[in-house]
Amino acid sequence: MKKELLINLLFTFVFFFSFTMLITFFADDVTEALQYNDLFPKDENFELASCQQWTRDVRSFPLKDYEKAKSVPVLMYHRIIDEKDLDENLYEEDGSIVSTVVLKENFTEQMKLLKREEYTTLTLRELELFINGKLDVPKNSIVLTFDDGFKDNAYEAYPVLKENDFTAASFVITGSITKNEKDYKPGTFQYLSVHDLKNSCDVFEFESHTYNFHQRMKDGTPFLIGKTDKDAEADIRASIVNLDGSKQAFASPYGGFDDGNIQLFKDLGFNMAFTVVPGDVSRGTNIYEIPRKEIKPETTIEEYKQIIGLQ
Amino acid sequence: MLMATLIVFGLYVMIQIAYLFYPLFSVKKSENSVRLDKEKGISVIIPAFNEEQIILNSLQGIINLKYSNYEVIFVNDGSSDNTLSLLHSHLDLQPVELVPASKISHNEINQIYQSGISPKIYLIDKENGGKADALNAGIEYASKELIVTLDADSMLDPLSLCEVNSAFQKETVIAGGGLVQITQGFTGNFLYLRPSFKTKGIIRYQILQYLTAFYLHKMTQSKLKSIIVIAGAFGAFRKQVLFDVNGYRKTVGEDMDITLKIHRLIKTTRKYRKSTLAFIPRAICYTECPSTLKELVQQRIRWQKGFIDCVIHFRRDFFQKLGFRVSFMLLFEYLLLGTLNAFPTAMIPIMLLIYPDNYMVAVALFSTTAFLSIYQGFITLIVAARFGSKYSFKQLIKVLLFIPVETITYRLLGLVFVISGTIMYMVNKNSWHVTKRTGQNTVAPPNPVPAETSNSHVI
Repeated sequence: MKKELLINLLFTFVFFFSFTMLITFFADDVTEALQYNDLFPKDENFELASCQQWTRDVRSFPLKDYEKAKSVPVLMYHRIIDEKDLDENLYEEDGSIVSTVVLKENFTEQMKLLKREEYTTLTLRELELFINGKLDVPKNSIVLTFDDGFKDNAYEAYPVLKENDFTAASFVITGSITKNEKDYKPGTFQYLSVHDLKNSCDVFEFESHTYNFHQRMKDGTPFLIGKTDKDAEADIRASIVNLDGSKQAFASPYGGFDDGNIQLFKDLGFNMAFTVVPGDVSRGTNIYEIPRKEIKPETTIEEYKQIIGLQ
Repeated sequence: MLMATLIVFGLYVMIQIAYLFYPLFSVKKSENSVRLDKEKGISVIIPAFNEEQIILNSLQGIINLKYSNYEVIFVNDGSSDNTLSLLHSHLDLQPVELVPASKISHNEINQIYQSGISPKIYLIDKENGGKADALNAGIEYASKELIVTLDADSMLDPLSLCEVNSAFQKETVIAGGGLVQITQGFTGNFLYLRPSFKTKGIIRYQILQYLTAFYLHKMTQSKLKSIIVIAGAFGAFRKQVLFDVNGYRKTVGEDMDITLKIHRLIKTTRKYRKSTLAFIPRAICYTECPSTLKELVQQRIRWQKGFIDCVIHFRRDFFQKLGFRVSFMLLFEYLLLGTLNAFPTAMIPIMLLIYPDNYMVAVALFSTTAFLSIYQGFITLIVAARFGSKYSFKQLIKVLLFIPVETITYRLLGLVFVISGTIMYMVNKNSWHVTKRTGQNTVAPPNPVPAETSNSHVI
C-alpha cells in the first residue's frame, strides 16, 4: 500500500518536473511565435505625441556665411550590437558580420568623434527646411537615422546618443512594434516594444518604415513595388495611425520604391522620403528621394571621417 | 490562429493529464474478485455472419465460464459459409420454440435451436440483416435480465460474468463495458494466460493502444461520466434499457450508437435520471486484432465511418439531450482533436516547408504530445500490473523500449485512418467496406447486408 503511494508520488513528481522542463524549454519560442504573428493593431497608436513634441521645434542657428553648411550627411544605421553578443546568426557565410550590424564599440567611437568635432544632429524637420532653403544650419551638421526599429537601438544606441546629447531619426516598421514588453536579449532578432519607444523618445524621433511592408515578393521585389498602390496606401496609412498621425518622413524598406510610390508619399502628406542611395544632401535635393550613407560593420573610423566629410 | 491552436492544445493537455493521474491514483493493487452468490441472469448474445474461421473460439470461453445463471444465444445472420453447419456439428442443435418479447423489429427468423450437449446454448438462424439486426433478434429471445453482447471472435474470461454481475448489483448501473484484451498479447493455456510481447510491431502497437484506451481513457471517462462507446466486442446492458432505446440502429457504428442512445435516455427520461454507465475493468474478454496493416486500415476506417455517422445522426442532440460531459468528450476530444485536427496535423510538414519561421512551435507541440503519450504508456503498465497483468522483466524491457518508438511511428497511422475514414464516409456514406474473411464462401446471398460481426469499434 505504502509502496504504491510512493510509486504514484514518484511518477507524479517526475511527470511534473519533466513537463515543466519541457514547457520552460519551449516557452520562449512559443511566446516569440505568438508575438511574431501578432502585429501591432492597425487602429491604435503608440501614444508618443507629447514626448515627440521636441521634433517639431526648429532651432535657429545664428551663423556667418562661412559657417553655413552647403551639404549635410545623412547616415543610415540598422542594428547596434556589442561584440560579445555576436552569435553565428550575425555572421555571413564568408565570416564577415552581416551588413546591417554596427558594433557598439565602433558606434561609440563614431559618436565620440562627432562630439569632439562639435557636430550638431539635426531633426528631420530641420533637414527639410535646410533642403528647402528655409533654414541655415551649421557646417558640422549631421542627420543620424536608424531603420527597422530593432530593440538594440533602445538598449545599445540610445545611451550613447543620450550621453553625447545627440538625437536621431528611427524609421520603425510599426506593425512589428510589440505591445507587450519582452526581455532584451542582446544579439537576438527583436523589435522595439511600445515601452522601448516611450523610454527612448527623447532621443529618437519615430517615423514610418511602413506598417508591415518590410517584405519581399517571391521574386525578391520589395512589397512597395510589387504590391498594388492601393495595398501600399492601406499599409502606410496604418503606420501613420500607429505613429499618431506623424508624417514628417518616410523611409522605404530596402530603399525600394517607384514613381507611383513617390506620388503616394506626396498624397499621403509626407514632408520627405528617404532612399538608401548614398549621396550628399544639399539645397535642392529631391525631397522625396533623399540619399543616405550606410554605415557598415567594416567601416573604419578613417572611412567614417570621409563619409561625414571631415577629410 | 496560433493562439487558438494553443488554447485547444492546452485543453488537450489537461485531458491527457487527467488520463494519467486519475487511474494512477484510483487503481489500487488488485484484490481478488469476490464471487457473489446472488447471480443475476445473463444472456450472452453472439452475432455471427460468415465467421466459420473463428466462431469456435467463443465457445472455448463459454465452456470455461465460472457462472451458472446464464444462457448463450448465437445469432447466425444469414451466413453464406459454414458457420451454421459448424455450430450444428459441435453443439448438436435441436429445433426449439421460443417466445419473443415482440418489442423490437428484426428480419425474419428461420429457426431457433437449442444445444443438446449444453442446454444453455441457443442458436437463432435468421435472414441476413446486419449486426444491429442480429443483436436485436438476440435481445428479443433473451430470457435473462442482463444482456452481454459479444463479438464472434471474442473469448470471455472465466470470471468475466461474475464481474459483470457484481457491477450490476448497483441498481443505478444500466450499462457497462468490459475490458477487451488482445489475444495475440498472451501466451499459455487459456485458463492461465500470461501477457507476452513476443509478436510483430503492428500487433504490439494495438496491444499498447488497447491497454491505454481501457486502463487510462475508459477508466477516466467512466469517472467523468463520459464513456462514449461501450465496445461492441464486450458490452453489458439491462435488457429493459435496450427495449427502452428501441434496440440497435442499423449502422456501422452500432455500438457507439447504442451508447449514445443510452446517454440520451438517461438525460431525457425521469425513470433513468440517476442511472450511470460503468466501466468494468476486471471483466475481461480476449479478442483477436488485425494482424496485417491492410486489415488494420480497413478496421479503423470502418470505426471512423461509424463515428462520423454517429456525430451526424446525433447532431441535434448534443448538450441538451446528451448532456455536457458526453457532448464535450465526443465533440472536443473525438471530433475536434481526433478527427478535425488530423487534417491540419497532416499538413504540418508541408506548412513547415512554406513557413519555416514557426517550426519551433511545431517541435514544441510535437514534443509535448510525444512526452504525454510516452508517459501514458508507462502509467498504463503500472495500472495494468495493479490489475494483475504483469509482464516478465525481460518482456517489460521490450515494452518500455517499444513505447517511444511506437509513439513516433505506428501512432502516426492514426492520422491515415481518421482522414481516409472521414473522407470515405463523406464521399460515399452508404457503402461500408467490409473485410472479407479468408476462406469465405464466394456464393453470397442476394443483396447481403455486409455487416461484419466481429471486430467492433473497441476504443
